[in-house]
Amino acid sequence: MIPELGNFALFIAFGFSLLLAVFPFIGLRQNDVRLMQLAPNLTIGLFVFTLIAFLSLVYAFLTDDFTVLNVAQNSNSALPTQYKFAASFGSHEGSFLLWLLMQSGWAFAVAIWSKTLPADMRTRILMVIGWICVGFYAYIITVSNPFERTLPYFPVDGRDLNPLLQDIGMIIHPPLLYMGYVGLSITFSFAIAALLNGNLDSTWAKWSRPWTAAAWGFLTLGITIGSWWAYAELGWGGWWFWDPVENASFMPWLVATALLHSLSVSEKRNAFKSWTVFLAIATFSLSLLGTFLVRSGVIVSVHAFATDPARGVFILILLALVTGGSLLLYGLRASSIKSVGRFSMFSREGMLWGNNILLVAATIIVLMGTLLPLVHKEIGLGTISIGEPFFNQMFSFLIVPFALILGIAPLIRWKQDKLNKFVKMPAFIIVVCMILAFVWLKAEFADVKVLAFSGTALFIWIVLYTTIELQQTLKKVSFNKLPLSHFAMVFGHIGLAFIIAGVGLTSQYSTQRDVKMFEGDSAVLEDYQFAFNKIRRLDGPNYEGWAADMSIYKDAELEANLLAEKRFYPVQRNTMTEAAISDGFFRDLYVSLGEKLPDGAWAMRIYVKPYVRWIWLGGIIVSLSGALILFDRRYRRSSSVA
Amino acid sequence: MTKKLSVSILPLIVFILLLGFLLKGLFSDPRERDSALINKPMPEFSLPDLMDESIKHTAQSLTQSPVLINVWGTWCTTCKYELPFLTKLSEEYGVKIVGIYYDQNHAPEFGQYADIPAIRVEVKEMLQRLGNPYQYNILDLDRTLSLNLGVTGAPETFLIDADGTIRVHHMGDVNERVWRDKLAPVWNEMN
Repeated sequence: MIPELGNFALFIAFGFSLLLAVFPFIGLRQNDVRLMQLAPNLTIGLFVFTLIAFLSLVYAFLTDDFTVLNVAQNSNSALPTQYKFAASFGSHEGSFLLWLLMQSGWAFAVAIWSKTLPADMRTRILMVIGWICVGFYAYIITVSNPFERTLPYFPVDGRDLNPLLQDIGMIIHPPLLYMGYVGLSITFSFAIAALLNGNLDSTWAKWSRPWTAAAWGFLTLGITIGSWWAYAELGWGGWWFWDPVENASFMPWLVATALLHSLSVSEKRNAFKSWTVFLAIATFSLSLLGTFLVRSGVIVSVHAFATDPARGVFILILLALVTGGSLLLYGLRASSIKSVGRFSMFSREGMLWGNNILLVAATIIVLMGTLLPLVHKEIGLGTISIGEPFFNQMFSFLIVPFALILGIAPLIRWKQDKLNKFVKMPAFIIVVCMILAFVWLKAEFADVKVLAFSGTALFIWIVLYTTIELQQTLKKVSFNKLPLSHFAMVFGHIGLAFIIAGVGLTSQYSTQRDVKMFEGDSAVLEDYQFAFNKIRRLDGPNYEGWAADMSIYKDAELEANLLAEKRFYPVQRNTMTEAAISDGFFRDLYVSLGEKLPDGAWAMRIYVKPYVRWIWLGGIIVSLSGALILFDRRYRRSSSVA
Repeated sequence: MTKKLSVSILPLIVFILLLGFLLKGLFSDPRERDSALINKPMPEFSLPDLMDESIKHTAQSLTQSPVLINVWGTWCTTCKYELPFLTKLSEEYGVKIVGIYYDQNHAPEFGQYADIPAIRVEVKEMLQRLGNPYQYNILDLDRTLSLNLGVTGAPETFLIDADGTIRVHHMGDVNERVWRDKLAPVWNEMN
């Protein structure tokens, strides 16, 4: 009964999206205010009925309703409750319903917080959202219905949720990513509405900036948690694999970051206008492309989601309509947009232009690395694979000019600044950074490696410059008066500095050892002694396995007690390594339990990973900056006064 | 003006090119794991009979006539619900059904070994109670055959023609509807 209710609600929501796509459009054409005013109410209906559908699906999962195909295939009665909940959006169908919930949720938020926008603009934005919704709701109803029944022949118990997904990170990671992806559709809708209107002045940038910042913040947090999940759960000790699915989330992030910076130029200087609109289109298009890549099976990935050609074709059509349509509109309209703000290369605009060029270059690299194997195969050159070395090398090159510009830029004036600012002080500071980095690495690791050196030097560079900038600004403006968006900039940049240092240090100084140990043995790695106390049997709710009880000592003092597990999930016949990690600000100790060897010993892999936490710490700091922009009074007031 | 238009239309052109590749990629070969098996010969194997280890079965012993291969186990709940229907197929329609049996508790890497005599007792009891559709059961203890067949869980069913070629692969239980829509058309064509 409840699943039917959900299905029914989904159809009603689809109806609302159709109305939202059509009525405001007619209203705008005929200048009928009553039709235009329907848009917010239709949006509320859309959200409410989508919420009912989503809750119905969650209910079906929580009550083990195996008459629903989706439940039978992705959950079973032995699954712990929180994972039953997670399973409701772990499957393809469920994840798209979650997507719709968020899409309508964002639209709902726009409807509520946009009351002060000009009526026609508000209507146009909601209408564009309605267009996008029609596509997605049609998709879920026709080829991906989560409420499909197994009746009359339903199984007594379900299959299982992939054990990899049975983790707290997996409960929060996909919703955060989706919040980001879908949130970018709001910026996209603002951009398209502005293009339709033909009015791309700075108000457009001002309105859309907080929405972009919010979506970008979610995306940042989602990627960070995904990376942490891969590290903690996959048991390989890695935190980023340049896997197509990861790239799919990274590309929109890169462009959204460029967009955030470009929006500030559009807003404050009335420059970069058509470029900003292009970035807004590109950001959401890359979100859709990412979804296509992940969900269609075009590209082979470790994430290996279930695939279905009908769905692939549908998503591709959606992508073609949304991106093709908006790029066509852009092509026709952008040529008549004139940016008024003039600036010299040695100005804040010039610096932000550099930021955008580098971010777009990075996006193109990721896009090429992800799609080139496909293109290569399709033009008959055989299969190739582009792996980590390519991406790592490219990003090592790009990050240097990027971080250098990032350090200086906030100190540079708009329009034109003295050349001296680009020469004397930076030259002095860079020498300081290099000396400090050298001393740091020499003292801590004895051996100075190039990539770690540049990582730490850039870290110091950004921190020093950001501090100088903040101190100089505070001379002019009091702390309480300084807008939150300025702190957002500080947080974003410092966070990135932590990521750069973390990546540089952990990639260069991590050590690992494969050891064979009997109970009572110990192994030494770096300054740490890993003692294998004993092996225990595990008996979980839906798994069984072994756990190795380990103690780690440094200078004969106990550093950590760890329990490294190997789990076997009978229903799925899957073996999972649950790595044990002792986390620390300066280092992680990581133990992953391998096979039992014929002589009774256990294979184990132990790692010492210095500064790996800095990567996620940095990611969290960066995502906080998104929240700070959101709470900036200027944007809050602008939307209540404008 | 025209020059500017050609620049701003450029992204669209690039995108359309990309779209072409994506569409082509969508339909290019090793897309679906499932279809990779279809129309391929049954993988080679030599495995003992579930009830009598001295009897060995091979791919050749399956090739005299069309056969329905059913992957199952007594631990698999859905399999229990499938047995009566499979029995009906074998008794009323004369479908030749061979089982591939695997034990989910058998995990040498965890020091767990299947208790074969106990399994035999369980299997006998279950088949007596719910119906026995199988001509014989192949014991795939190390799951090598299941792996080669791309089995991801139980129950799964394959239709093999008289030449030993895999024609249909079905995941999940075989019931009236699945038989009617998916298996029977191919089966009737093979006979």
